[in-house]
Amino acid sequence: MARMKFICDTERCIECNGCVTACKNENEVPWGVNRRRVVTVNDGIIGQEKSISVACMHCSDAPCMAVCPVDCFYRTDEGVVLHDKDICIGCGYCSFACPFGAPQFLSKGAFGTRSKMDKCTFCSGGPEANGSVAEFEKYGRNRLAEGKLPLCAEMCSTKALIGGDGDVIAGIFNQRVATREKNGKYPGSKAFGWTTAYGGPDAPAPTPTPAAKIPGAK
Amino acid sequence: MKRYLKTLGLSLAVTSLLVACSEPPEIAAKVAKRPDVAPYMGANDGFMTKGWTPGNQASWTESTDKRTQGQNEYSRVK
Repeated sequence: MARMKFICDTERCIECNGCVTACKNENEVPWGVNRRRVVTVNDGIIGQEKSISVACMHCSDAPCMAVCPVDCFYRTDEGVVLHDKDICIGCGYCSFACPFGAPQFLSKGAFGTRSKMDKCTFCSGGPEANGSVAEFEKYGRNRLAEGKLPLCAEMCSTKALIGGDGDVIAGIFNQRVATREKNGKYPGSKAFGWTTAYGGPDAPAPTPTPAAKIPGAK
Repeated sequence: MKRYLKTLGLSLAVTSLLVACSEPPEIAAKVAKRPDVAPYMGANDGFMTKGWTPGNQASWTESTDKRTQGQNEYSRVK
């Protein structure tokens, strides 16, 4: 059984925001809501600036599901965490529970009124009929039912963001990290490179390139 | 007898007053979750990829895994 997951490789992400744009366009996400965004840390520090594309991680033990007072979430057999907008009351609990800030709300009108929750669906729609107009209007495209994968990952220009069955994308990432190690990058890092992708105490800190060695840098 | 009727009337009045003050149950009917259709059943929206059979899970999984490898340049460029 497939377990759909995303991996974002911080060594490759160039903060182009192509994934953000692709997601908004493919799913016609309204202005003010970003299902996916790129987060950059150590901004401006040469050699240490890292970017990562973040959206719903479709957690195996999703905290949003645990806190939802109306139980609108469900997990598909493919491991995708989805929700029913007809049940959602827009309370925002999921937003507070999610460590990735995935649940989004469209603020409209006075007094901070919120819409129902909107989030990444791994391009697999919602409980409406697959590929129907109702599904598209509420949840966006159902690319999985079309035999495709999330557009953000499929169009990533540097293939920093990869999405698909967890075992398959872990294999791709494993091969990538092994090649890096073979070429002398971060020798001794963990086999799967998780610490390289997500940081950790075992990850050797990258050596910053002195500004004097970079043409044009001050 | 008159006193009895008076007491009875008073009791009935109090009872109806209390009934008027009672609250009907306000528990909202639970909205049932609708079952989602699995992606391997296909979409029938004209944008389906070729190479797999809608309704056949093994076929969909194989096709999707193959497509996932499209994100691996080590397998694309040899």
